Amino acid sequence: MSGPLGPSLAPYVRSSRTLSKWLKPVATWYANLSGYRKVGLVYDDLLVEERPDVQRALSRLTPREAYDRAYRFKRASHASVLHKDLPQSEWTKPEEDVRYLKPHVLEVVKEDQERHVWDTINVARK
Amino acid sequence: MLRATRLVTASKRGFATVVDASPGFKVASVDNGQPTSSVTVLLKAGSRYESKPGVAHILSSFAFKSTGKRSALGTVREAELYGGVLSSSRCREHLALTAEFLRGDEAYFVDVLASFLASPKFTRHELSEYVLPAVHSESSAAAQSAPTYALELAHALAFRNGLGHALYADPHAAGNITTEDVRDLHARAVGSPVAVLGTGISTESLAKLLESSFSAHKTASATPASGTHAAPATAYHGGASRVASAHGPQAVFVGFGSTASASVPALHALAAHLNPAPALKWATGAAPLASAIPAGVSAQSVLLPYSDATLVGVLLEGADAGALTEGAKAVVGAFKDAAAGKVGKEELGRAVARAKFQLAAGVEGREGYVGAFGPKVLRGEAANVQAALEGVQGVSGTSLAQVAANLVKGKSTYVAVGDLHTLPYADEIGLSA
Repeated sequence: MSGPLGPSLAPYVRSSRTLSKWLKPVATWYANLSGYRKVGLVYDDLLVEERPDVQRALSRLTPREAYDRAYRFKRASHASVLHKDLPQSEWTKPEEDVRYLKPHVLEVVKEDQERHVWDTINVARK
Repeated sequence: MLRATRLVTASKRGFATVVDASPGFKVASVDNGQPTSSVTVLLKAGSRYESKPGVAHILSSFAFKSTGKRSALGTVREAELYGGVLSSSRCREHLALTAEFLRGDEAYFVDVLASFLASPKFTRHELSEYVLPAVHSESSAAAQSAPTYALELAHALAFRNGLGHALYADPHAAGNITTEDVRDLHARAVGSPVAVLGTGISTESLAKLLESSFSAHKTASATPASGTHAAPATAYHGGASRVASAHGPQAVFVGFGSTASASVPALHALAAHLNPAPALKWATGAAPLASAIPAGVSAQSVLLPYSDATLVGVLLEGADAGALTEGAKAVVGAFKDAAAGKVGKEELGRAVARAKFQLAAGVEGREGYVGAFGPKVLRGEAANVQAALEGVQGVSGTSLAQVAANLVKGKSTYVAVGDLHTLPYADEIGLSA
C-alpha cells in the first residue's frame, strides 16, 4: 500500500469497457489540467524520488532516458523561474507521456518483497 | 598387507561412460560412493570464442544470476538452505558451472544449472549492479600479479587470436559490453556441444534429471538458442615482449608452442623433466633445472594443453633480475639439451613416472576431473585417463628429443614483466629472435 506508486484503480477501470469509456475523457481532462505537460514533463517525472527504491529504479534507466529526464527537469525549472508555460509546440503530447520509470520501480518493489520473504521464511524439510 | 590388497580391489574405480542426452548434452558421471555429489556443466564459452574482448569473463560472472525460473537472490538463498556450493570458473576454452551438494539434493541443483542454460535473463541492471563490480575486482587483482600477467601476454604472443584472447576483461573497456553480447555468446555456447560431468551421481539419473528440467525451462521461456561457434584452427606464432610492472615480484616466462596433437604425451614428459619442484619439501630435486635455478627464484613448469594447441614452458618468479636472467638462461639451456637428445635414460624414466603420477593424481580432485575429462567428453571420447597414461608411458628418448627439437626449431615465446632496466632481452638468454 505504501509503495512508491501509491494505490491505483486504473487496472480495474481499464479492464471494463464501459468504465474506461466514461472515465477516459475525465482522465485526459485532468491530466491536461494538472499542468505538468505544459512545462514539458511526463507523468513519471512527478514520482517521489526521495526513497531508496525509486533511487535504485532511477539508476536502472538507460543513459538516454536519464539524460532526457534531466533535460526535462531543467526546462521545467526554467519555465517555473519565468512564471510562464512553454510554447504550445513544446508541450508534452499525450502519446509522449509514457511510463518510463514505472516498470523499473515495480521490479525493484518486487525484489524488495522477495528479499523480505526470504528473510522471514519458515523452512520445513519435506 | 593382506588388508591393503583387499582395499585396493574393493575400491576399483568405475570410469564414466558418455551418454548423449537430448539437446546436444554429453553426460558422463562417476560414482565412487562419496558422501557429496557435484555436477559441472562445461560450455564452450571461454575467451577463445568471444566476439568482443571480455565477454567470456562477464558471462562467467553472470552465472547463477536471475533466470526465468528464479531470481539471483532466490538461487543464493535456496542453495544456502540446501547447504550446497555454486561456483563458476573459466579457462580459455571452457566455462565451467559447478554445483556441489549433499546426496539427495540433485533435483534442485541440476534444475539451477538447467535454468541457466535454458532461460537466463541477462538483465542490464544485474550487469551494472553485480557483474561489472565483480569483473573489475577480479581483473584488477589479476593485473597486480606478475606471473598471471606474464601468462596472459604469453598466450597473446603465442596464439594471437582465439586462444590468445585475454582471460580477464579490461576494466576500462568492459563498459562497452552490452547484455546482447553476453546473450549472443551464451546462445552460441548452448548451441554447441555441452558436456555435463557428475561425481557421486549415476550417469543415467543425471541425464534424466537434466533432460526433464531443461525441456521444462525451454518450453516456459521459448527463447531460441541458435548458432554455433566458428572458431578457426589455432596457429602458433610466438614472439617476445617485455612489460614494465612495479607490483611485487618480477616474472619471466620462457616457452614454446606446438599445434601437433601427436606430441602431447611427449610434452607431458618434457614438462615433467623440466619441472624443478622437488618431490620432497625443502629438498633439491634431481631434475636438471633444480640445481641450475639460483636461490630466490621460484620456477614452475607450465604445460597448457588446449584442444588444438599446447603451450609448454617455465615460469620464473623472483625479486632479483640478475638471478632471473641466470634462471632463464638455464631454462633455455635445458630446452636445448632436451632437443639435442641429452636426456639420460634414468632422467627420462623419472620424468615419465612424474608425468604419469601428475596425470593420474590430477583426476582425483573435482577440478582436475573436469579439466581432464571435460574436453574428452565434449569430443565424445570415453572419460578415462588410461589412454593418456599409456601415451606418456610410450615416450622414448628419441621421441622426446624429436618433439623438443621441433619446439626449439620453431619460434619461442618470451615474456618479462617487471623492471625493464635490468630484465634481459630474448637474445640475451640464448633464444633466437
